[in-house]
Amino acid sequence: MSRTHATPVNAVDARLPASGRLADRAAFEAFRAAATRRWDDLWSVERMVVSVGVDSSSLAKGAVEVLAACRRELTGSDAVVREVSGNGALWMEPWVEIKRPGQPPIVYANIDPSEVPALLTGSLEERALGVRDGDAFGGIPALDDHPFFRHQERIVLRNVGVIEPESIEDAIARGAYSAYFQVLFEMSAEEAIAEVTASGLRGRGGAGFPAGIKWESGRKAKARPKFVICNSHEGEPNVYKDRRIHEGDPHRILEGILIACVVCGAERGYNYIGGEYPLAIQRFRKAVADAERLGLIGQDVLGSGKSVAFRVRTGGGAYICGEGSALMFSIMGVRGQPRTKPPRSVEEGIWKRPTIANNTETLANIPDIITRGGAWFAGIGTEGSKGTKLMTVQGPVKTMGLVEVPMGISLRTLVEDVWGGMRDGSTFKGIQTGGISAGPLRDDHLDIPVDFDSMTELGGMLGSGGFVVFDQTVCVVDFARYMTAFNRYESCSKCVPCRLGNPALVEVIDRIRLGRGSLADLALLERTSKHIIELSLCGLGQVAPMPLLGMMKMYAEEFRAHIEEGVCPTGTCPISVAPSALVAAD
Amino acid sequence: MSLSPSTEIDLAVVRDLLSHIRPNDDQEAQELILAALQEINEHFGWVSLAAARLVAEHLGTTENRVYGLLTFYADFRTEPRGKHFMLVCHGMSCYALGSQRLVQHLQDGYGIGDGDTTADGELTIQVVNGCLGVCDRAPFVKLDHDFHGDLTPDRLDAVLGQAFSRGAPGER
Ligand SMILES: Cc1cc2nc3c(=O)[nH]c(=O)nc-3n(C[C@H](O)[C@H](O)[C@H](O)COP(=O)(O)O)c2cc1C
Ligand code: FES
Repeated sequence: MSRTHATPVNAVDARLPASGRLADRAAFEAFRAAATRRWDDLWSVERMVVSVGVDSSSLAKGAVEVLAACRRELTGSDAVVREVSGNGALWMEPWVEIKRPGQPPIVYANIDPSEVPALLTGSLEERALGVRDGDAFGGIPALDDHPFFRHQERIVLRNVGVIEPESIEDAIARGAYSAYFQVLFEMSAEEAIAEVTASGLRGRGGAGFPAGIKWESGRKAKARPKFVICNSHEGEPNVYKDRRIHEGDPHRILEGILIACVVCGAERGYNYIGGEYPLAIQRFRKAVADAERLGLIGQDVLGSGKSVAFRVRTGGGAYICGEGSALMFSIMGVRGQPRTKPPRSVEEGIWKRPTIANNTETLANIPDIITRGGAWFAGIGTEGSKGTKLMTVQGPVKTMGLVEVPMGISLRTLVEDVWGGMRDGSTFKGIQTGGISAGPLRDDHLDIPVDFDSMTELGGMLGSGGFVVFDQTVCVVDFARYMTAFNRYESCSKCVPCRLGNPALVEVIDRIRLGRGSLADLALLERTSKHIIELSLCGLGQVAPMPLLGMMKMYAEEFRAHIEEGVCPTGTCPISVAPSALVAAD
Repeated sequence: MSLSPSTEIDLAVVRDLLSHIRPNDDQEAQELILAALQEINEHFGWVSLAAARLVAEHLGTTENRVYGLLTFYADFRTEPRGKHFMLVCHGMSCYALGSQRLVQHLQDGYGIGDGDTTADGELTIQVVNGCLGVCDRAPFVKLDHDFHGDLTPDRLDAVLGQAFSRGAPGER
């Protein structure tokens, strides 16, 4: 599928200043003022503004065709047609937002390209879902009153679905690079790090390490040059958050990385993006090119005397390359196989130089922490987990999507309210947490708060915030096999416990699935798991058996049914299909 | 670029792709090996030994190292693709909604697993362990340039049947 490019917002663009290199502070401030005027005009002038959410999920459902139909229908009129990104609500796609003169922007959901003419002439009003960013209007409710949006507090996602991601002017009008400007001119590195520390921000890549502490050691590291890496690999099978920030607001990520570079004294920033996300890569590269053009990257940024270089690198479909040291090896052009630590990467990272690595979402939080202050951020969330968290869901729920909610929201609110509960015909059986690194929770656990610490006691984990709801059709033995087989396939093969242990687990699970298991196999699974967890070199092996152990703990009776009664209660496993068919696929 | 299988890829095109990759120093050259291979893989659907050699030469490294990368990273192929290429999402939404049945069906009905090509050269599949990002339409595949969601084995047969009767996609 070929993509059409955003055409500039025609008439409004006349207001833009020449967009060459901005030589100094004043030039940036003038540019920002002009971009802001242009943005305000866009929404205040008496003209129709049509925005279509195009991102990696909506384009699979015809969003590009919807956009093209809008352009076609409105050719010759003074209407502005914009290509924004999706807003996280997969269930709404493709959606179109229309702002008519004298009206607020109204969002219409699930629009087919063939419906566009009717939509634009106003004869599809029954499909209006809500008013974006405002109160109810003419019987149409505020979008923020919809359960999917009601619980959200959008900081990282503030611009996602609102700005044109390929327009640096849109981003700057909505505040991009203001925090960067602050650390270049108005704030010392110590002050900036103090804000990050005070914010309590913990890493969003899974481990939850305090960002302030990492930055402090990065700043103190003596060797030169130093590097900052944004970890946008996101190779887990259960999550789709980081790519959406790239698709919707790439400048926010870039700004976070540039701030880290300036504050930690790093000469060069990197963003390592998973190769599976062509649109994320394309939009991020565009953002980098525009920032270079304006002189926000390069020598003597805005005349501040500070210089930052930037490189984009893309992954090759190996999950392990999300692990910090493996990612650095991948950047250096070798196989992504983790190494033992110490030395930590802030001492010895890329090219044996100090390297500060953070997850995309972590860095995307930085601009607001700088402009609004660490104390503001620390006022959101729970005691040990500050701020908001991006969370995604998969499986048979009604309103699937990515949301940004305050830390500490209950899992039940997420599942039953935000994500709309189960689809018709599906009964909730469990929710897998922490992706392929932790265990599931059952219905009787759903009232716990979602943050870094609350779920671990039950064997769950926040991880990167990707939850998987599963229903009565999913066999937990088969599900455990799926996750163990994932880890078997993705093991980098460097250390023996992980390389040999995971295949051994799969073999034993298969025996159970075939109806040839014994109760002794359950003990064998636990023992082998223990060895893998205790002896593996890196974070992949050290948690690889957790999903299996979690499934065995939460659904012990279902494992026993396979062994003692020789039946798979859901009818999934080969026991109940054909005794000979061992599923070969992983 | 045609998707039809051939035993070698056009090295003149590879040279042209490589001519745009101009590292400033040895470290940058090493950082660009993966990028060079990705471009070739993207363009041709696979990377041949001869192309890998050109990359090694161009970036001042050994073909062993280049081959080590090709075999480590799942996105690379070292053999040509069939006429059609399908990414089968096996992420967790797809799993929870039945992608295992599709994978099994491709094995039973077409004789292919991850990375394989059908005997008649019509179809190559790659089973993707990550998530393709269209989780609400799981299970989900991307066949050539088209997306298909909410699949069952029967619906997959219909989708494949249509693609086969249309022939190879002209442009990649
Ligand atoms: C097997 C494995 C895969 C990982 N994948 C990712 C990933 O895709 N993205 C990410 O940000 N962190 C990933 N991590 C965590 C990183 O090693 C690291 O902790 C993180 O990027 C640090 O950033 P943060 O402190 O901002 O979270 C992974 C870790 C392991 C062990
Ligand atoms: S898991 Fe298949 S599209 Fe997300």
